[in-house]
Amino acid sequence: MKRAGKLCFVWLLMILSTTGCWNLREPDQLAYVLGTGLDLTKDGQLQISIQIVIPSGVDGGQESGGGTKEKSFRVISATGKNVYDTVPSFQAQLSRSLFLGHRRIILIGQRLAEHGIGNLLDEFIRNPQSELRSRIYVVKNGQAKDILSAEPIFEPFTPTELVRQQATLGLKRYYFRDFLSDALSQGLQPMVPTVRLTDSKQFVYSGTAVFNKDEGLKLVGFLNSKESNYAYWITNRQTTFTITSIVKQGNGNVSLKLRSLDRRIRVKMIDKQIQIDVHLTGEGTILENNTNLDPTKRKDLNIIQEELSQTTQKSIQKMIKKVQEQYKTDIFGFGESVHRKYPYQWKTLKQDWNDTFPELDISVKVELQSKDPGETTSSIKSIP
Amino acid sequence: MNMQGSQLVWIIVTTEVNALIGITISPAILISKQDTWLSMLVGGGIGLVLTLLVVHLSTLHPNQTLTQFSQALLGKWLGRLIVIPYLIAWYTLSAYLLREFTSFLQPILIDRTPLWIIMILLLGLMVYLTCSAGITGIGRLCQIVGPIIIFVLIVCFILNVGNADWHNLLPVYVDSGWVNILKGSLRPSFWFAGPFTLLVIISFMQNPQKAIAKSMLGVGINIFMVLTATLMVLMVFGPNLAAKIRFSYFMYVRTIDILNFIQNLDIFTIFIWIFGVTIQLSLYLFVASYETAQWFNVKEWKKIIWFGAPAIFLMAILIPNELFLATYEKFWASVIFPVCGIGIPLLLWIVSVVKKKASEYKV
Repeated sequence: MKRAGKLCFVWLLMILSTTGCWNLREPDQLAYVLGTGLDLTKDGQLQISIQIVIPSGVDGGQESGGGTKEKSFRVISATGKNVYDTVPSFQAQLSRSLFLGHRRIILIGQRLAEHGIGNLLDEFIRNPQSELRSRIYVVKNGQAKDILSAEPIFEPFTPTELVRQQATLGLKRYYFRDFLSDALSQGLQPMVPTVRLTDSKQFVYSGTAVFNKDEGLKLVGFLNSKESNYAYWITNRQTTFTITSIVKQGNGNVSLKLRSLDRRIRVKMIDKQIQIDVHLTGEGTILENNTNLDPTKRKDLNIIQEELSQTTQKSIQKMIKKVQEQYKTDIFGFGESVHRKYPYQWKTLKQDWNDTFPELDISVKVELQSKDPGETTSSIKSIP
Repeated sequence: MNMQGSQLVWIIVTTEVNALIGITISPAILISKQDTWLSMLVGGGIGLVLTLLVVHLSTLHPNQTLTQFSQALLGKWLGRLIVIPYLIAWYTLSAYLLREFTSFLQPILIDRTPLWIIMILLLGLMVYLTCSAGITGIGRLCQIVGPIIIFVLIVCFILNVGNADWHNLLPVYVDSGWVNILKGSLRPSFWFAGPFTLLVIISFMQNPQKAIAKSMLGVGINIFMVLTATLMVLMVFGPNLAAKIRFSYFMYVRTIDILNFIQNLDIFTIFIWIFGVTIQLSLYLFVASYETAQWFNVKEWKKIIWFGAPAIFLMAILIPNELFLATYEKFWASVIFPVCGIGIPLLLWIVSVVKKKASEYKV
């Protein structure tokens, strides 16, 4: 009898406690946030926009035809003193509580980025509900809000499309937390992919935003998508991309799709003078050939490879010069390379690395190889 | 009550590996940056030596717990006097852990549940486990749970290899220097040595001569797991970001993302965490109660639990805030550990050895 009583007590305790009913949160009580956008309004206030999922709209999209299609998402905005300050204002507009666990991207509008985002980063990692696998973008010539409102093509949501596009473009995964890690490091300045809106309200990937973390993490400039291919190649954040260039000896142009990229950065210190050798190698397939040359022949192939390497090398040197002279921030992480190679000297070098970087002696060597000439021999051209 | 050799290994692993990975990694990264793994190795080495001291002391007095052999060595009153710091340490540490763990769990998992409900649930398990089978039950449970914990940890290491970048570990040594590496190793070394429970539980072993080898194996497994966890955290977050995160290993698990569908594995980590903390607290409750009973010469040690458990609960509830926890940690590192983990065991060990030598000489 006493045993039965004890058993009943334990049963009751289990039933009461293990269900966790007081902490009940059903999916239909949550507003799923897929993207967060940070903007600076014209009168200098911080404006946060979020894209939230409308589940009924998503289901409607899958049904075939008929009826008015509901929108699958909605974008709402609020202004506040800091990031979390806007949450009550959001909540005032919503019947469901915000859920950040599925946030895919964090967008930063150009005006805010130029103003500096150094003091807006804390919430994204301090808030226990925050998601650590979000990607980060800077919105060129526009507001983050507009990208979130843009109409997606394939997916029901723009943030998902942006994330998937990164893989298609051959970019390695670069999360918000990687951005934070870069922003906190000593010899590396962060660079972030950018997206802009066309006049027809479509988003376009448009290269890279260059930051200067030593002045409150401010945007200092952009690299176009070609230049950013090169910059990502040097920083090992690119897996594939295509090079198209004129081959003078062949009187035409060639496209080479690079499939395996490699880089080696050597640091030398001669009489306190730092010299940096960047050695880039890439292998790929020729996918278009409009020259008189035949890439299946060793001699012609060598000419193509040599010329492509030379022109790419020149473009990369130009890009590095531009960053050194215009932006003056070490997005390539050469400082980090020096830090690793000469840790003792770095202790004195790091204070004025920003002044050292523009003067840095950087030599670039590019070696491109075509592993496969494609499906044709010499070019299929109508004979003139 | 009996304990096997393998149970000792798993008790050491289960009760310490969670606390080591959860509590010691982040503060150590703050001090020794990318060289924290070196700190962990040094700390592990110190921990091994301190464990050796404590275990050897216990094996010199087979089948006697701390209160028994300290009285045999130093006399009734002095022997009892030096046990008091240990009792204080065990009770306060239990309260500290109970509070620390629940306040870690509450905001991420069950944010609308009052702290005291989580505490009472944990306490109920602790009392049940300790009351029903004492150290035998704890040992058995560890034999089951220990391998699960190790398995989950290893799976989480493997799944995040894709996010790891070994460049984050460079440059080795120069940035921090040996002073910072040693500083960073202090706190982990205390945890590697454990909160002196071995002084009591070795006496329950069937073959005390195996105690040294088994405890070294247990601490060795801990060192390996903590070293790997530290390396992975550093490689995924980089030393600068990792230093800013309070529970860096937990955050590390949240970054796992394989093919967009193996995600949110933190739930498994919390799961093994709850196991580990429950067993850890049960062990402290057992040791504290058993030794209190010995101290007061109470035959039925289980009766003490009914005073000990509420006392731990009250203390845990009365802790005002997180800052107090940090103060307690400092107190632990600067006072309790040097006294109970190094000072008294060394004293007792010297007295034991001298007495043994003297008795041999007489014969």
